[in-house]
Amino acid sequence: MTQSIEELVVELVVSTLLSLERMFVAYLLSLLLALVIGVVMARNKYVESVLLPILDILQSIPILGFFPAVFLIFINTLGPIVGGELSSIFLIITSLIWNMIFGVYSSIKSLDPSVDYLARIYRLSSIHKFLYIYVPASRSSIAANSIVSWAGGWFFLTSAEVLSMGKTEYRLKGLGSLIIKAFEDGNTTLYIAGLLTLSTVIIISYLMIWNPFTMKYTDTKILLGFMRIYNSIDRIVSKTWGSIAGKLIMMYNFIKSRVGSTHTVFLILPILSIQYLLYPYPKNLYGVDYSILSKVLRYGEDFLLEVPNTLIRVYSVVVVGLVISVLLAYISHTRFRVGKLVVMSGEVLSSIPAMIWWPILLPLLQGFPYVVMGFIYLQGSLWYTFFNILIFGLSNLKGNILEFSRIYGIRGVLYLSKVFIPSLLPSILAGGLSASGGAWNASIAAEYIAFGDLVVDMGGVGSLLNKQAMAGDVLGILLTSLFMSLIIVSINKLVWVKVLRRISGYYVVE
Amino acid sequence: MVTMSLSKDLVLEVRGVSKSYTSGGKVFEVLKDINFVVGREYITILGPSGCGKSTLLKIIAGVEKPDKGEVVFNIGGKVRIGFVFQFPTLLPWMTVLGNVTLPLIAAGVPKNDAVERARRVLKIVGLEELDDFYPSELSGGMKQRVNIARALAVEPDILLMDEPFSNLDPLTAENLRSEVLDIWSSSILPIKSVIMVTHNVEEAVLMSDKIIILSPRPARIVKVVDVNIPRPRTRKMTEVQELVDRVYEYVS
Repeated sequence: MTQSIEELVVELVVSTLLSLERMFVAYLLSLLLALVIGVVMARNKYVESVLLPILDILQSIPILGFFPAVFLIFINTLGPIVGGELSSIFLIITSLIWNMIFGVYSSIKSLDPSVDYLARIYRLSSIHKFLYIYVPASRSSIAANSIVSWAGGWFFLTSAEVLSMGKTEYRLKGLGSLIIKAFEDGNTTLYIAGLLTLSTVIIISYLMIWNPFTMKYTDTKILLGFMRIYNSIDRIVSKTWGSIAGKLIMMYNFIKSRVGSTHTVFLILPILSIQYLLYPYPKNLYGVDYSILSKVLRYGEDFLLEVPNTLIRVYSVVVVGLVISVLLAYISHTRFRVGKLVVMSGEVLSSIPAMIWWPILLPLLQGFPYVVMGFIYLQGSLWYTFFNILIFGLSNLKGNILEFSRIYGIRGVLYLSKVFIPSLLPSILAGGLSASGGAWNASIAAEYIAFGDLVVDMGGVGSLLNKQAMAGDVLGILLTSLFMSLIIVSINKLVWVKVLRRISGYYVVE
Repeated sequence: MVTMSLSKDLVLEVRGVSKSYTSGGKVFEVLKDINFVVGREYITILGPSGCGKSTLLKIIAGVEKPDKGEVVFNIGGKVRIGFVFQFPTLLPWMTVLGNVTLPLIAAGVPKNDAVERARRVLKIVGLEELDDFYPSELSGGMKQRVNIARALAVEPDILLMDEPFSNLDPLTAENLRSEVLDIWSSSILPIKSVIMVTHNVEEAVLMSDKIIILSPRPARIVKVVDVNIPRPRTRKMTEVQELVDRVYEYVS
């Protein structure tokens, strides 16, 4: 099948816009939810005591495992078009939202109590408190977490656009599904064009949105700041925004003058959904047969047989990720310029979706399957420790500690063990906690890799979940995910949280 | 000595206020049966660190509830309270102007009026040029001025100040003290009473009409000292020095 250039471009542009829209809707919903949930949780003890453990579980369970079930529920109740789109957005949200909620929650929690008195003495209403205190107070953590989340969202885009459940496969039009399809069809031109478009979109959204946003609201000036051309990029960015905003305001005023302001929003929303009418989806949805009578015990046995494999892999990956991150942190800390470069490379590398690596990884798959598995594991977990330690952690190493170390000549190993690592400890632990959640989730993608006829099965719980999904075994998926969540939550509660509680209060330098 | 006609000049009355905290299973008594009246005057609450002065101020401001007793205001309508925090407590994400207008906007003052009022008080504290600066760009003294301006902007009936000068360098503190006294005595603002908390004896004698001396925890009123020294007062005045010595005796 040959396509004309024109068709190819239209295909690419439409797919990109659809994917972008999905990402934005998911991001905005996550942002709104994160702000509301985070603030309420931080401000209301009852909500906190109920939600904190629930969110903790939701954050650490493998969403990918639960996903086929959610997908089925959405499709069955809402029909394929709306249901498919909603499941896709739902999946993206589940990869964006958790760190954002915890970011908002911890910034509000750490707010100076005198701000609370201020709000009460001057009788600020809830809305005023939300707008003038809580939202701006969480700006910097929202900014920092948005980068991680946005990257994570692109990373999951393929899974979110190619929804599969046993024999049922359902593709949403978008950049992720386009790239996969091009790869499967062996359409190299489209595949490369897709990857290039994807990278361009990621870089542009980073330059246009996240970099200016983080520069404005966090103290970290290290993102991208090292580039000589940065200033000119910055100028172009603000100019572009200026003209876009100008055009939008003109448009808005034009519509408003015709229909009045409240109706304008309702007018814009349908415009966004028109595209779904223009690009109807193929209807290739079959019923799935699965038997609920399968024995729970057998699933438990399967799970217990597979879990040691995954357990060892997950926590080795977390340790490797921590070592890498601390090393990189030390290098960035001692060599400022290198540091900027490291963080910036991290930004870009972390948002590159897994599929871009396939052309490199596929040849390795036959000879070195462990390398490929380790790579996918790392890609799903390293970034949590990386960003936590290099952005939050390093900014905690405040000037006075550095001065103190310099004055008393604390250097080398002594500096590393008594000053550097202890100051990073809160972020090492927080990052490690998220990273282990990420690694568990990554096990699903890492332990069972199928590309065309090539199937590499490394065993483990992730592989088990994959096989159950292939067989359309919903009960199996649910039970296996539940067992897995149980293990993760117990480890978090028994080990991680205890350590975290022990060090909090000791390791925060004021 | 002028006798105060209570019915007309009474602004607020603190009646039998007691307060204790529980921490780690232990009960700390902070305030014990505090009684005093405040007229149209400048009152200083003086006591050692950690004796519960700030708690008393927060109870008067209505943001802490006493276990026993009450604070009664003799003011028609809603009582407007300005509060100068010990630390400036400025919101770092808002400009000076934004910080000062926030309480007004919360009180439902229209934006334009709020800005106008904020500019007026910023001028009074000498910061009219800096209204679009962010707190991080200001010195400690300037931040404290914004803190004061914010309290003045609500056009308070009662101005409460929690050790307002204790975290400033001596020179800045000295300047701000005389500015606060100027604002108070010039009656450009409708402030009926000022209640200031301090642990600085000299500051109390130089500034106030009445000093309420509290004991260490649990705080009780040791003595109420009237300060009948004509203003402006200076450290070198013998009356001031004598009174400082006298007050020190009650404190120690």
